[in-house]
Amino acid sequence: MTDKPMNGAEMAVLRSRLDGVVRKMSNTLLRTGRSGVINRARDFSCCLLTRDGDLLTAADSLPIHVLSGPDMMARSMKQFHPELRAGDAFLHNSPYHGCSHPADLSVIVPVMDAEGRHRFTVLAKAHQADIGNSQPTTYMAEARDVYHEGALLFPAVQVQRDGRDIDDIIRMCELRIRVPHQWRGDYLSTIGAARIGEKALGELAAEIGWDRLEAFAAQWFDYSEARMADAIGRLPAGRVTGSSTHDPFPGLPAEGLKITATVDVDPAAGRVAVDMTDNPDCLPCGMNLSEACARTAAMIGVFNSIDHDVPKNAGSFRRIDVKLREGCIAGIPTHPFSCSAATTNIADRAANSVQTALAGLGEGIGMAEVGSVIAPSAGVVSGIDPRTGRPFVNQIFLAMSGGAASPASDAWWTIGHVGNAGLCCIDGVELAELSQPIIVHRRGFVTDSEGAGTQNGAPSTIVEFGPVGAGMDIGYLSDGHVNLPAGVRGGQPGGGADQYLIRRDGTHGPLDACAQVHIQDGERIVAISCGGGGYGDPRERPANRVADDVAGGLISPARAREIYGVVVSDDGTLDETATQIERRAAA
Amino acid sequence: MRLATDTGGTFTDLIVEDDDGSITLHKASTVPSDPVVGVLDALRGAASTRGLSLAELLGRCDSFIHGTTHAINAIITGRTARTALIVTRGHRDILLFREGGRTEPFNHTIPYPAPFVPRALTFEADERIGADGVVMTPLDEAALVETLRRIGETGVEAVAVALLWSTINPAHERRVGELIETHLPGTPYSLSHAVNPTLREFRRASSAAIDASLKPLMTHYLGGLTTRLAEAGFGGKVMVLTSAGGMVEASEVAAAPIRVINSGPSMAPVAGRHYAGREGAWRTAIVADTGGTTYDISLVSDGRIPMTRDLWIGEPYRGHLAGYPSVDVKSVGAGGGSIATVDTAGLLRVGPGSAGSTPGPACYGRGGTRPTVTDACVALGYVDPDYFLGGAMRLDGDASRAAIARDVADRLDTSVEDAAWSILDLATENMVQAIQDMTVNQGIDPGQAVLIGGGGAAGLNSVFIARRLGCRELLIPETGAAMSAAGAMMSDIAAEFAVTTFASTASFDLDRADTAIADVRRQAEAFIERAQRAGSISYVAEARYEGQAWDIDVPLDSATFATEDDVARFRAAFDATHEQLFTIRDESSAVELIGLRARVSCPARSGAAFRLKGDPEATGEARSRPVYFSGHGWIETPVLRWDAMAAEQPVAGPALIESAFTTIVVDPPARFRRTADGSILIEA
Repeated sequence: MTDKPMNGAEMAVLRSRLDGVVRKMSNTLLRTGRSGVINRARDFSCCLLTRDGDLLTAADSLPIHVLSGPDMMARSMKQFHPELRAGDAFLHNSPYHGCSHPADLSVIVPVMDAEGRHRFTVLAKAHQADIGNSQPTTYMAEARDVYHEGALLFPAVQVQRDGRDIDDIIRMCELRIRVPHQWRGDYLSTIGAARIGEKALGELAAEIGWDRLEAFAAQWFDYSEARMADAIGRLPAGRVTGSSTHDPFPGLPAEGLKITATVDVDPAAGRVAVDMTDNPDCLPCGMNLSEACARTAAMIGVFNSIDHDVPKNAGSFRRIDVKLREGCIAGIPTHPFSCSAATTNIADRAANSVQTALAGLGEGIGMAEVGSVIAPSAGVVSGIDPRTGRPFVNQIFLAMSGGAASPASDAWWTIGHVGNAGLCCIDGVELAELSQPIIVHRRGFVTDSEGAGTQNGAPSTIVEFGPVGAGMDIGYLSDGHVNLPAGVRGGQPGGGADQYLIRRDGTHGPLDACAQVHIQDGERIVAISCGGGGYGDPRERPANRVADDVAGGLISPARAREIYGVVVSDDGTLDETATQIERRAAA
Repeated sequence: MRLATDTGGTFTDLIVEDDDGSITLHKASTVPSDPVVGVLDALRGAASTRGLSLAELLGRCDSFIHGTTHAINAIITGRTARTALIVTRGHRDILLFREGGRTEPFNHTIPYPAPFVPRALTFEADERIGADGVVMTPLDEAALVETLRRIGETGVEAVAVALLWSTINPAHERRVGELIETHLPGTPYSLSHAVNPTLREFRRASSAAIDASLKPLMTHYLGGLTTRLAEAGFGGKVMVLTSAGGMVEASEVAAAPIRVINSGPSMAPVAGRHYAGREGAWRTAIVADTGGTTYDISLVSDGRIPMTRDLWIGEPYRGHLAGYPSVDVKSVGAGGGSIATVDTAGLLRVGPGSAGSTPGPACYGRGGTRPTVTDACVALGYVDPDYFLGGAMRLDGDASRAAIARDVADRLDTSVEDAAWSILDLATENMVQAIQDMTVNQGIDPGQAVLIGGGGAAGLNSVFIARRLGCRELLIPETGAAMSAAGAMMSDIAAEFAVTTFASTASFDLDRADTAIADVRRQAEAFIERAQRAGSISYVAEARYEGQAWDIDVPLDSATFATEDDVARFRAAFDATHEQLFTIRDESSAVELIGLRARVSCPARSGAAFRLKGDPEATGEARSRPVYFSGHGWIETPVLRWDAMAAEQPVAGPALIESAFTTIVVDPPARFRRTADGSILIEA
């Protein structure tokens, strides 16, 4: 092999082959996983890292899982296990050592060459149906600290030696994680994904050589950095500040918790700096961000706001400076503050602060706010299945929307939340009813809940469901009732979240925004998720697109007139003349 | 005599099989506005080479097999019938939710896809059946009749019905169908449990909606084709290729046109299977069909045509999931028209942009100025500008070189030849990646497989693809340039019958499973009777480990679940298949059977050799021209005429092998021969 740098053609080929390795890992996890959160919802990610722990590629993984986190996790593996050997595998889910949150149990495998030198690292991270918390939920908002939370934590703990399980670890998990058989199946599937990645990388190296692969990584980072500098160079210079407020929750202040981000764009230098230090200290609840999620949330806000074609890896990351503070709720958490719900609620507010701040820089930049989560329609359900007498626990994904408008396009509706980017799938009603003892009475999008704008945010979803044949527990933490997903540049907010109970006698009862509740057989829970914010003035929206939504029942004629200045005749067609008059009058 | 045609986007291919089993190949331009014209043009060509009139040719033929993209094109271009959808009360947005999922997490330039049936035409029926098949809310017939009246007022041309759990208890869907017949007489309709009996209501609803929307159009199209063929003198049977790789009589298509949405592309693997068996008895064949804008690939293992239930019309997650089983043919946007660019930071890209056939590559001289893969092949000397499509079209080689120099070579600071090679190499890599995605997903080692190249442009880079994949052998069949039509000629009269069921090895319900398999067996036997031919039936179980959501197909060796032995054999077959696909098996988990399928096929063709008639004019006159190969530079390369090559004579590369339909590029390290059966077999 020569030392000559690769040309653009050779790089493109290797990039494609490495992405192929990641897809191969992901496919294994999806097809073989046992819990619905993995095999139906696809709540997992796979990635490749260099020997030094730099992220090489995470093709089509969940953003909040991978931009930052795997890098720190891979480095902590090396720190705790300086002598790595082929056949080793490590479990990692410690938010104090780089993992996103404890439910994202990961398998890390160092990829060794024939001489036993560590060359690359592969990582497979999957959201668990259960991780042994003191309550049957993987997002325990009210956890006072890590002890109250109760998750089984693995700060890069060895789980395989010579390619075989260390049974001590497996036995511990089987005693402390609910529905152990399901956990064991998911573990098998995750280790399978990591080993398939290791094997594929070894085959690639056998063909082109480890040194050449490493040389590619270095050059690929430089290329990605250049692309990032170029993308930032096209933004206007400036300092902008954005904020987003989380609703009041147990453990949060009564007025809610405001997250603020200040973003400095320096197009001449091709750099962006995000300062997250002006935020409250860690709180005695499960909502503190891990360092991985704080850093990643800031980066998501930046990447959502620029040319999407820039590769996301350690090279482009060199152009983003994220400033975090130790002991800060949106910074670096100090043990034993709990990070149980670190991937969603506060992280969403952080990422939204960055992208709405950037929208303030000028037309065509940034994005509106993506809706908050986690409504009961994506809660964690558990109980005893009356059909089998066996216990069940799983996060369901009956509905979610939340998509925010961008300058270029209406929202992609089923985004989930900003850190997820729509990669998770939605449960089918029939599969959900087969897998858990539940019935879904109603599922739809809510009229007049879209984030109105020149480009529209997603409408809210509504799901009415309940247990069948026995009661069940459900845990959820639904932000976005008080603080709606904001629009930007004249765009309006999307619909807010809500939930209530329908009792057996048909009367309604209120439900808290963040709760672990028991639903009786025959009762129904109604869950309304957030929509997403709009981008730009709704009166600039093409009138025929508004009329289409009126025809489909997604927007009422009254709202079309009031918000968009669009008049729809009684027969449902667009009244162009009346619309022109209406819009001119408002201008 | 028999006829097989495949109407593609650019060309209509025709294969004529004489009674002695010998065949001829013909091509005519497709006329998108009236595809039957292209078919008749190709038939006229075949008649004139035989010195016959069209009526004389057609009078001698007893069957006409047709592959068509008419249905799928109608969906892509939005020309299907205006269709209403009736769903269970509370689930109006079934087609809007889809199954979630997305690609390119940071690409916020793509809006959420519109549902196949607009929300304004989606109606709710008051009814609900539970997961156990029990009626929880009876069907409110009076309300439904009122809904049907409103549907009538919207002026729809077809109606689809998709109710929850209709696969377990179809009573409500059937009753809705009866009421449609009464209250919307003459309006075609489709019931989801009958169209696509699968769990996952979104896929069932999508299938039913697509099926209903195709009924008026396909009934009209196939009726017109049959009539015009009859008027031209044809008195035999018109058969249509299905997405499942078989054929059915045109009259059966009208009842369920969704069966033919992937008609045509599904035939390449059928041809591939034939050649893989005939020429080398390979266990696995990678079948690749190269078109102008797309590259279609499929895998044939142990003689089985691969099936998928994830057929997307359009791009994954952004198009429509048909939800209907189809031959697993994956289409990637890579072809001769793919455009090469260099981005701001110096990375070469090929595609996804395509110059198509208009304006086309720079060398076409039709206004295209951007360098394409075809231009790269011209610049490398692979394509002879004076003999493109057998000389039918002259190309401008200077335009190719200028475009590559300006847009690629100067930007990468390299020579035109090196730039052209890089363009072809990256296009090759895109094709290789697509194949590898498929092979890894199915646990297949390409090193143990043969690559079979079809399509007029397959020969240009298949040697490189085979080498990159690690395939030791590459086969270009005689009929490779019209692979789908060749497959059509070999295909069986076939159908598949499916049933949803449930049984777990933890406590296997023998009665239920046995009843289910007997049900599909009876349907398959009835099909054989209707076809009035000998036929065979194979059975597939859809199964998974307890807790898994994605089932895999497990071939069954018996059509009964009569004893525990049958269950044990099913379980063993499942564990083995799962391990082959995913490297893991889990004997401590129960296995769940969730569906059964019976696949019936009745061979339509006699066993006669399928050989192209030779061209008596062909000569072995020695020719050569300079050709560029990476690592070798320009080499004066012999040009061989396919027809004139002696059989079973090993030859070393480099060489160009030309026929009236295609050119094969063989680089210096490769060796090749023409087989006794007429194909070119290359060791890459």
